Amino acid sequence: MKLKTTSRSSIVLKLAFCASLFLVATVSSQADERGKQLYKNCIACHGAEAEGNKAFKAPALAALSEKYLVAQLTKYKEGHRGMDVRDVAGLQMAPMTQTLSGPEDIAAVAKYIASLESTPKEATLDGDPEKGKTAYATCAACHGADAAGNDLLNSPSLLHQYDWYTLAQLKNFKEGIRGTHPSDITGSQMRPMAMLLADEQAMKDIVAYIQTLSN
Amino acid sequence: MLEKLVPRGSTYAADIDLLFDVITYLVGFWFILVFGFFLYCLFRFRRKAGVKAQYITGETHKQKMAIEVPHYLILGCDVVILIMTFFVWHKVKIDMPTPDEEVRIVAQQWAWSFYHAGQDGILGTEDDIATVNELHIKAGTQYKFHLEATDVMHSFSVPIFRLKQDAIPGRIIYGHFNALDTVIGEWDIQCAEMCGYMHGGMGARLFVETPEQHAEWIAANTPDHLKTASIAATTTQESKEDAKNG
Ligand SMILES: [Cu+2]
Repeated sequence: MKLKTTSRSSIVLKLAFCASLFLVATVSSQADERGKQLYKNCIACHGAEAEGNKAFKAPALAALSEKYLVAQLTKYKEGHRGMDVRDVAGLQMAPMTQTLSGPEDIAAVAKYIASLESTPKEATLDGDPEKGKTAYATCAACHGADAAGNDLLNSPSLLHQYDWYTLAQLKNFKEGIRGTHPSDITGSQMRPMAMLLADEQAMKDIVAYIQTLSN
Repeated sequence: MLEKLVPRGSTYAADIDLLFDVITYLVGFWFILVFGFFLYCLFRFRRKAGVKAQYITGETHKQKMAIEVPHYLILGCDVVILIMTFFVWHKVKIDMPTPDEEVRIVAQQWAWSFYHAGQDGILGTEDDIATVNELHIKAGTQYKFHLEATDVMHSFSVPIFRLKQDAIPGRIIYGHFNALDTVIGEWDIQCAEMCGYMHGGMGARLFVETPEQHAEWIAANTPDHLKTASIAATTTQESKEDAKNG
């Protein structure tokens, strides 16, 4: 009798375990579906594979980590990024976050984007990768020698990104268009780094070097 | 009629509302009359056993009058609307009262940038205060706005002002408003011209402030190194006003 009870309860336990697995799987696949659905609002500019589009100044997103995507989407939604009158592209991105109703939506869409496959992007600027390599040593501290980024330091991957976008962001950081909002902590960490770069050519050199890491 | 839904917040809001009422009541009167007559005829002259339908060509003088009299009456109503429209249009869009303050408004996909003149009251100087999706104005002050668009057409719509002005890329369009002190507070601004994907999300906030509140806001948004020049700026503004009065 006692034995029977044990086996019965173990069956119940097993069933409960299976059910909970099933539940977790359903819930997470629902979140995946939600992410895919939400991403439809992004396709117009960022493309179906999150490959970006220069015509809309839209960066590639596929190589970015889930954590970084969540952080940036949250900044846009809370007005910590894309709220400078000079930031034409950022001002365009900021209202798009209205299509995400809260942290769950942001997490879902970030998860979906991060699951997409990224591809290397062609170089379009006339930077000198050799000069850029030396200067990149400073960036490597956070972004890694391979430029793959580091979630623990909140630094994004720089790989498989358009050179014009990386250049534009370096300029934004330097000119105080990005990373100046009091609540943008990680942005304010990047800002002094961008200020180390003397001129546009220095930025182009670094970007050209980062571009070589993608291939 | 409209003020029950959205308060009147500008010096010309009442004129727009009056015009709106006149059009609504005149058109409404004819609408009800015509449909009433139409329905009356439908029932009064419906098919009856033993009565043959008549074919009326509408050629006799009396028959023509049935068309012409209401026609001229409606034309008369049109003329009333037209004359009123002319005066209201002139007041809102053509006339440009001497401004006390100026503000530059730039529309882009999908945000509004506002350039406030700052403490010196002169637009285009170093102490201008630029904001995104927030317009701060002083009640009871005549404003002139410079409206621009950077990409596609937008429309600057302020419901409490009864103001709606298209913004067209490549052009600077001027207009004016003067907020009443009965609407101190926070109000809506909305893009009213389809401008792309996030047109529906292209809203902004209008802050109508008392002169004290507005001065406070300017002080809070002026960097310290520019504040020292305030006395000099006030003096030049006073001399400018003296010149204007003289
Ligand atoms: Cu618009």
